[in-house]
Amino acid sequence: MDAASPTPEVLSPAAVFTPQLQVVAALVFAVVLVIISVFLARRKSTQRGDAVILAGCSDAGKTAILSTLVYKQTLPTHASMQTNAALMALPQAHKTLRLIDVPGHPRIRDQFREYLPHAKAVAFVVDSSTISRNGAAVAEHLHMIMNALTSLPPSRGAPSLTIVAHKCDLLKPTATATAEQLAINRVRTILERELEKRRASHANDVGVESMGAEDSDSQLGGLECTGKGEFKFAEWEGGEVGFIGTAVSVGKHAVVSADEKHSEGDGLAPLREWLEDLP
Amino acid sequence: MLDHCSISHKGGVVLWSRSFTPAASHTAASSTSPVNSLVRESLIEGRSSDGKYEKDGYAVKWTFVNDLELIFVVAYQRILQLTYVDELLLALRTLFIKLFKPFLASFVASLHVTGSAKLSSSAAPSASWNFRKAFEGWDGVFDKLLRGLEDKAAQERRTRVAHPARAVIDVTPPVEDTSTIPSQSNAEVQDEEQIARNVQALKNRLRGRGGQASRRGRGRTDVGSGRDSLPASDSETPTSKRKSRAKVQRKWGEAAPTENDMASLDYSYDSSVSDGPASSLDLSALVDNGSLGTRTQDGLYEVKDWEFGSQSDKNADDVIAQVLKKGGQDAKPASGSLGALGSIFSRLTGSKVLTEEDLKPVLEAMKQHLMKKNVAKEIADKVCDDVGQSLVGKKVGGFQSTTSAVRQALSNSITRILTPKTSTDLLLSIRTKLSTPVAASQKRLPYSITFVGVNGVGKSTNLSKVCFWLIQNGFRVLIAACDTFRSGAVEQLRVHVRNLGMLGVDGATNSKGRVELYERGYGKDAAGIAREAIAYGRDNDFDVVLIDTAGRMQDNEPLMRALAKLVATNNPDKIIFVGEALVGNEAVDQLTKFDRALRDFSAASGGQERGIDGMLVTKWDTVDDKVGAALSMTYVTGQPIIFVGCGQTYTDLRQLRVANVVQAILSD
Repeated sequence: MDAASPTPEVLSPAAVFTPQLQVVAALVFAVVLVIISVFLARRKSTQRGDAVILAGCSDAGKTAILSTLVYKQTLPTHASMQTNAALMALPQAHKTLRLIDVPGHPRIRDQFREYLPHAKAVAFVVDSSTISRNGAAVAEHLHMIMNALTSLPPSRGAPSLTIVAHKCDLLKPTATATAEQLAINRVRTILERELEKRRASHANDVGVESMGAEDSDSQLGGLECTGKGEFKFAEWEGGEVGFIGTAVSVGKHAVVSADEKHSEGDGLAPLREWLEDLP
Repeated sequence: MLDHCSISHKGGVVLWSRSFTPAASHTAASSTSPVNSLVRESLIEGRSSDGKYEKDGYAVKWTFVNDLELIFVVAYQRILQLTYVDELLLALRTLFIKLFKPFLASFVASLHVTGSAKLSSSAAPSASWNFRKAFEGWDGVFDKLLRGLEDKAAQERRTRVAHPARAVIDVTPPVEDTSTIPSQSNAEVQDEEQIARNVQALKNRLRGRGGQASRRGRGRTDVGSGRDSLPASDSETPTSKRKSRAKVQRKWGEAAPTENDMASLDYSYDSSVSDGPASSLDLSALVDNGSLGTRTQDGLYEVKDWEFGSQSDKNADDVIAQVLKKGGQDAKPASGSLGALGSIFSRLTGSKVLTEEDLKPVLEAMKQHLMKKNVAKEIADKVCDDVGQSLVGKKVGGFQSTTSAVRQALSNSITRILTPKTSTDLLLSIRTKLSTPVAASQKRLPYSITFVGVNGVGKSTNLSKVCFWLIQNGFRVLIAACDTFRSGAVEQLRVHVRNLGMLGVDGATNSKGRVELYERGYGKDAAGIAREAIAYGRDNDFDVVLIDTAGRMQDNEPLMRALAKLVATNNPDKIIFVGEALVGNEAVDQLTKFDRALRDFSAASGGQERGIDGMLVTKWDTVDDKVGAALSMTYVTGQPIIFVGCGQTYTDLRQLRVANVVQAILSD
């Protein structure tokens, strides 16, 4: 009866994979490959830059900022001996962010380099109440960071740099400017002056190393400007430099809410906004 | 008797702290607090192996808990010889960890987020951090612990004073005196009523009546004054609290003891009904609230406060006893299960806790290795002890062996020691000095650098190398021949100056006029010559003056005095110690004595205290990878190595590359 019917079902491969079908399959396969690779690349790139580094000299207030952002209360702090990395929630943007607080002690501040590949932004915290006294030291630290930022491989976008003029509650606001503006202006002026000094000094120096015939690239660069003349943050080749004025009530003996009176009005609001706006 | 006590995370967050004197609580938040300087100057720089640190009249002791990354610090006046501090630290450590381990573990974990994998899930608990609540009750435990130890120490001292010879009494302060010190220093900033109260208390005690009660009362005062600096404290301002307490205090002097008894009966009954012994942590919190409420009442305040103290004592007793009992139970099964099989298993599954026994042989081997690399023995010991301290109790993951963990920690430690903490950019500091504006009537002083060191290490040779480098950078350099002792020293410099004058600068055929020698022959006073040289340099527009001094042994006091005089009269901008890389154990002695002598004698002769500002290590090319001298030298002074001399020609001057040195020291 149907004895012959199985035979047509054994189709030869050549019969099934007609040329059209082969082309379609190849196309589909290629599209799938592309999609997967794009997805992986996207994921990799987001993984690469998900953190915000808090850098700056000792006693600038990095750990206090971290504790205020992460634990919603300003804990008293002392000089850090090791790096802190914590997650903070950004309720408006519905995401979380990794904050990395690198110690500012000169002997261990180099640690920021190992986190730089994971960073999407660097916040350089400056104590605006003492900047006029130790401007040179702060500028040296900032110079290191700027050098590291500009010498990253160009294949990926460099993290953005923002200078946080912290402790601006210690400055007295004048009639024309608020304390924050005052702090930002002061920090910007002093740092520009000190960095210009460093740049001028390095511009025509013969390094110790380069006297011999060996490798001669020991100079610390990273301060190149597009414009001629003095160093300006606005003209820095490494990208745009933002300025934020902040304050936390450290040392006010745990007055800051253990309960969640949420923190819209506090001194870190500008910093929070900046973190929310980060891509 | 303590000044300050704090418990903090290594990342810098202070979990709990208390200051016992107004001075200490004033500095506690600032960057000059004893804890802060301890971390900055001792722990980070790897000088913590002594176990003791002194600063501004404070003695500071500390202990680590490495797996939870905690530091326990106690600071007290250096003149007080407190015997119980070590015991207190250990007890604090044990209790604190037993009581709050889960919270601490999650806290530490929250500070070590490595990836962004589970962002949303781990974000939830971070919203509910409440440190104040978490450490509730710790105050009571701490009070109890401290009081117990203080009483014990007082007892011991009393017996010691009573029995042995009279001489001892003169040396050791009597018990009464030391126990009143905190309250007296409190009184300095408190109001007069407080003083009156203290006097009253003292009188009471002298009369021998109610000594125990007044002692307790004082204990509470100390606590109150220190309350303000901690996250886990009540938010009422300390001044108002003190005032109210002081007011009631004066009345209390007249109060009858019967009232006291009644009140105590009342409240012990109340609280024992309301709180069970099981919820001991909450209990002390409740009592705390009760005491806040009663503060408004008149007259009975001190009594209740006393009562509160004894209540929390009882709770604290419970807590301490419970914890210790639990600790004993925990320890036994843990040690029982840790057989050989267990340790292998735990290693396979990933976590193994390093113990002192594990570390000992490895550290010993590392010490030997360091000494083979020409690190001074003393320094090798200290560095290894420090590494050991930071590793005990730490978990090593996976298949990482103890050796590799130690190696890693040692590498970090050496890197930290070698990394300069001040700027080593000599050119920048010269340019900064030259460009700072001076008054119109004066001429600007040249930047002066003094080279000091023992005989034959290469001071003059490397001075000429530095001179060459400065000329290359366009400075005019004057060399002052202040070695007026060794025959041929001046002639040697003259030859260098002639050579440098003939060498071209930036393609120009000669650099005459860029370098000059200032010489006054032999046998003269070096300090005078240096001063004249600086004046000559100022008048003739030189940018830098390099001062060459005679080599001297560090034990030769007259010569060291002469050197200090040179430094004090001329106040050079940099004092560079020249040492050879061949030096072994001697490095420590040389540097400490030069530094000490310079500091002592320059301070004695009226100038400000000056030590060595930097080092120049010579004969670097002769030691291959045995570069331990660099580590010894930086460890001793804490100052950076500015240059390394590595050959015979003017260009053989290098800057120290920390990474290379670390690699060389650790290589086999």
